[in-house]
Amino acid sequence: MSGRVSRLARSMPFRLALGLVALFSVVSLLSLAASYFVTQRSFDQTMRADLRQDMAGFRAAPSAGALATLVEAEARETDPERLVLSYIAPNRRHFGNAVIGRDEDGYHIVSASGGNPKIKGRYLALTASLFGGQLTIARSRDEIDALGDVFTNILVLSLIPTILIALSGGLYLARRSARHVGQIGRTLDELTGGNLGARVGSTQGWSPDIVDIGQKLDEMARAQEASVTAMRQVSSDIAHDLKTPIQRVSVYLDEMSRKDLPQPEANELLGKAKAELGGIASVFRGLLQISQIETGSPRSRFSDVDLGALVQTFCEIYEPAVGEASQSLTCTVDGPEPAVVRGDRDLLGQVLANLIENALRHAGPGARIEISAGYVDGRPSLSVSDTGPGIPAAERDLVLRRLYRLDRSRTTPGNGLGLSLVASVIALHDAELALLGNDPGLRVEITFALPGRGDAVPPEQTPQGPGGA
Amino acid sequence: MKLLVVEDDETTGSYIARGLREEGQTVDLVTSGRDALIQATSSSYDVLVVDRMVPEIDGMTLVKTLRGAGNQTPVLFLTALGQVEDRIDGLNAGGDDYLVKPFAFGELSARIAALARRPVALERETSLTAGDMRMDLISRKVTRAGQDIDLLPREFALLEHLLRRKGRVQTRTMLLEAVWDISFDPMTNVVETHISRLRAKVDKPFETELIVTVRGAGYRIEE
Repeated sequence: MSGRVSRLARSMPFRLALGLVALFSVVSLLSLAASYFVTQRSFDQTMRADLRQDMAGFRAAPSAGALATLVEAEARETDPERLVLSYIAPNRRHFGNAVIGRDEDGYHIVSASGGNPKIKGRYLALTASLFGGQLTIARSRDEIDALGDVFTNILVLSLIPTILIALSGGLYLARRSARHVGQIGRTLDELTGGNLGARVGSTQGWSPDIVDIGQKLDEMARAQEASVTAMRQVSSDIAHDLKTPIQRVSVYLDEMSRKDLPQPEANELLGKAKAELGGIASVFRGLLQISQIETGSPRSRFSDVDLGALVQTFCEIYEPAVGEASQSLTCTVDGPEPAVVRGDRDLLGQVLANLIENALRHAGPGARIEISAGYVDGRPSLSVSDTGPGIPAAERDLVLRRLYRLDRSRTTPGNGLGLSLVASVIALHDAELALLGNDPGLRVEITFALPGRGDAVPPEQTPQGPGGA
Repeated sequence: MKLLVVEDDETTGSYIARGLREEGQTVDLVTSGRDALIQATSSSYDVLVVDRMVPEIDGMTLVKTLRGAGNQTPVLFLTALGQVEDRIDGLNAGGDDYLVKPFAFGELSARIAALARRPVALERETSLTAGDMRMDLISRKVTRAGQDIDLLPREFALLEHLLRRKGRVQTRTMLLEAVWDISFDPMTNVVETHISRLRAKVDKPFETELIVTVRGAGYRIEE
């Protein structure tokens, strides 16, 4: 319990509340003190002015007798506790409502009407000699002294509730934010502990800054979960994809260890085992290459690449192979000027090679393959299309995933990494990759950012093609 | 040729050494960067074959040290690492060529031969010959046994590259790099299709084959 209280007391909202209370108290005290002194001074001045005015009134009397009568008349109606009037006539006779005497303790006021002989309190007195006598007027300072009490009361009545309200408000806020901060802390603990599904969740009623932190944390957790899931998927895909060829190699080696195996058969098995191992190696090489591209480091070696020239080079390289597969290849380079992008020529070449080889493998005999470089909406672009069976619209996203293969492609050569590699190279170039229907067939379109524009165009991976296979 | 192979994996090391010895090369095999540094500085080699990751002194440091000491022996790096980044790093460190594991022995052997700085038929030659074939580099005409052979420009370039390196194996990737100036990893037999077109023109109509396929490696023009 005391631990919780001290934790609350150390929390930021409570400290803020405490600081504000202290500041408010100091300011209130200072302003109250200032108004007290100002008010007191003005009271004092008023009193002095009143005394002088009283005195002036009595001075107006024509004679000592008249003055005595005036004083007596006034004194009868005046409470000596408030105003003392005392006139000692030239004949030493005393008129007034009180007598001012003096002994070793100082001045004393003694009421003339008996009852309460000695009057306590402080007075402000004015004395003047009039008609051979002495007139003393003294006003009680009680009102001024009471002022101090009034101000003390104001202080107690206003400041103390304020302090209490502020402190409890601070404590409430501190407890509330401690709850919210605690929830964020628990989420982080869970994430650290391996529960990647942990989220801060609803932040309704939270203060906006903590809401912000909570939402950012959730975003981060989501991204992390997605990448870990993807990674798990890839590792299990790799394991699954390699199990079959490894099993085959083991079978081939097993068969080769038979003693009576004729040499030609042994050679054939050897060739098969080698081919399987080559396939395994190519999967690993592909994965390694993709992960290297995804680090983004090849970007440091980017140079200007003429897409038109690249398309021509690859047309030339693949033209005989396409002919052998009884397919046809057309290359077009258009646009008012060469389409030049910043990039890695070898990697972009690998992209073209993978796309052309995919068409060679999957489009079937008689298919037309078209490669082109040019502009789409003023942006440099590359495209490879074929008139084969295409990729069903629902599977177009999936084929970009590592090791994903369409069911009908399981038996054709290839490691299921070609399009993933294409996707990673395209992402490296901040370009957009779109798999579209070619009616019939597949059309892969790559659109680059405008030259000289640094900002990346968000990759669009679920394009809508007209129809599709 | 005298070669130094620096490879810490015993199986791979002795496989490379045995293969190269069978080709008639003299091979020294060491398993650490330190031993390699001692060997390379105390003896003279035609080519060094260096694995990137060997104990004591790694391959990159070894080659940088040798280059720093003025040793210009050609170096072929071997690596299990990927090709995109490391290829460039290796070449920057002073390597002359780069081969990613696992590799075919033929590729290794062809690349070693290419590195050995044996003179390529010089640029100023005006004609190249092999058997009864003659390539005129000025008129850009090819004849064989007196007959004119009509070649497309790239076919001409491919044949010229092989002729200038008569007797030496050129692998598929070497041909892609040399003729089309591009380094990529084709999964299909693109180079074979070009060679077979070239063969259809320069070999088929004649009795002897000049362009020879070297199994598991590449192609060569017979001397």
